[in-house]
Amino acid sequence: MNGRPRQKLLWLILITVIVAIPFVAGSYVVGVMCFVAIFGGLALGMGLLLEQAGMFSLAHPTWFGLGGYVSGILAVRGIAPPWLGSIFGAVFVGIISYIIGAPLLRLKGYYLACATFGLLLIVEITMGQLGTLTGGNEGLMGIPPLSVGGLVLETDVHYYYLSWVLCLGCLWFLYNLMDSRMGRAIKSFNDSEVAARSMGINVPWYKLKVFILTAVMASMIGSVYTFYLRFTQPSIFGFPLLVELVTMIIIGGGKTLYGPLLGAFVVMWLREAIHLSLGGLLPRMSAQVDALFFGLIIIVILIFMPGGLSGWIDRFLYFGRQVFGRTDG
Amino acid sequence: MTLFSQIIQYAISGITSGSIYAVIGICWSLVYLITKVLNFTTGEFVMLGGMLTWGFRGAGFGLVPSVLFAITCTILISMILERIAIRPVRFPSEMTYMMITIAAASVIKGVVLLGWGSETRTIPAFFGTEVIHLFGATMTSQILCVLGLLVIVTLGLSLFLNRTLFGKALRASAINVTGASLMGIDISRFRFFCFGLAGGLGAITGIVITPITFTGYEVGMLTGLKGLVAAIVGGWTMTGTMVAALMLGLFEGFGAGFISAGLKDVFSLLVMILFLIFRTMDLALWRGSVMR
Repeated sequence: MNGRPRQKLLWLILITVIVAIPFVAGSYVVGVMCFVAIFGGLALGMGLLLEQAGMFSLAHPTWFGLGGYVSGILAVRGIAPPWLGSIFGAVFVGIISYIIGAPLLRLKGYYLACATFGLLLIVEITMGQLGTLTGGNEGLMGIPPLSVGGLVLETDVHYYYLSWVLCLGCLWFLYNLMDSRMGRAIKSFNDSEVAARSMGINVPWYKLKVFILTAVMASMIGSVYTFYLRFTQPSIFGFPLLVELVTMIIIGGGKTLYGPLLGAFVVMWLREAIHLSLGGLLPRMSAQVDALFFGLIIIVILIFMPGGLSGWIDRFLYFGRQVFGRTDG
Repeated sequence: MTLFSQIIQYAISGITSGSIYAVIGICWSLVYLITKVLNFTTGEFVMLGGMLTWGFRGAGFGLVPSVLFAITCTILISMILERIAIRPVRFPSEMTYMMITIAAASVIKGVVLLGWGSETRTIPAFFGTEVIHLFGATMTSQILCVLGLLVIVTLGLSLFLNRTLFGKALRASAINVTGASLMGIDISRFRFFCFGLAGGLGAITGIVITPITFTGYEVGMLTGLKGLVAAIVGGWTMTGTMVAALMLGLFEGFGAGFISAGLKDVFSLLVMILFLIFRTMDLALWRGSVMR
């Protein structure tokens, strides 16, 4: 591969653009891009799970919500400062996902999807019922902003940088992960589990590891999201978020690692466009109505361009290399 | 209310919801066995049945015509869904099918929300609202309608599947699609038909329960999922689904009565997860160690 220097250049360009945006654009753009980072980071983990590892787990929003709830409750009760609470949340979600994942990941295909979908709904309903602890369906209020030492993160710009650091950190981590021994194991058991087993790869253990890793990533992003909104609610991580994440993965294309982030960018700006153009027309704009448009997009893309946007980009680059590239041999 | 009549009351509500889950479970397995698509819009058809009947009644039709229109519309929607969303998929895999049906479910939900708002709706009971007393427990005539529906659906389906040529061909293609198509059975027509049948059955279920449980844009997902639980636990067969659904309904009824009404849905979803985990256990190994 002669892609190394080019990849570094792309990273540099990406980071420069991200850093420059708050200096150039207004607060509206910064706010939306902050959401792009948060949901893009979430979609990155889910995309890895779904498309790279072939594990059809729909419980990803649950880890996002649980992480946010744990750190939020700890902060509201004054048990732990927000930054420590986020770490506690991540550890808690890691343990829970280990306990749940160990028996659940023996399932495959439809059954894994059904079980994790059930898990998603169970956690959502239970959080709404635990009124004294979680604030019930109205949500958890009065969450303090994130603070480390004397530094209090309050403005959109602070959270913008924090969430982009987290998101790009996740992307960088996933690239390195897929380049490692574990990444090769993941690719191999996605292609054929029997072949991977016969080569001596401990498939259940690797599956569990990926599951826990992505769950912890989701939980950390969830904590940041909770402290950004300073509020959390069971319906934040329910079915509409699942549809949204699936849309991001499908639009971006999960076969590449950066695809879901690209998808998150498209979906978030598309949603803003829909709200701006149809907000006057449709009186009841809510997450459910967004899910209508996202559902249509999912169907159209799965039928007409199954690779998503990054699939197109890859094909285009491949074509470019074929025509203009050096011939190595 | 004595404990005994309380138990009877919970059992009645359990059996009512159990028979609903049984019919919905049959809808899931009809589609799953023939097309290998786990059709997540099944619950939305239940919702559509109730909402469309309410809508047609609001437009000034009588109860019977609006029920018929609602069923017809749902069947058409289901068939159109198969034609425009399921069939054209280029690289069919379980994941693609599931994403498409989940997406279609959220589209249907969103359209209903936009059109009719988020209020809960109801239609009047079919035979008045007389109350029947039974061992100190009370039930309405609508509950008898639900039970009647279950009996009619299962009897009708088993007659259809066992006695007619079309039904036998359907069963054959459920067992082995390739083998059936080699025998000259037109599978693509069956896929179309099964989607229609599942849509119709779902709509009828939705209409019959609407006077009891009310309907709204969001009832579909959970009701549908519990039907799926019944179908999975019942092993995708009709008898198994019925037994599993009635047990699930009773479990849920007693759970809601004695533990917590708010956690009612959690119980049945837990049943599904525990059952799925239990399924993967290596029973042969276990039995061997016991035998030795």
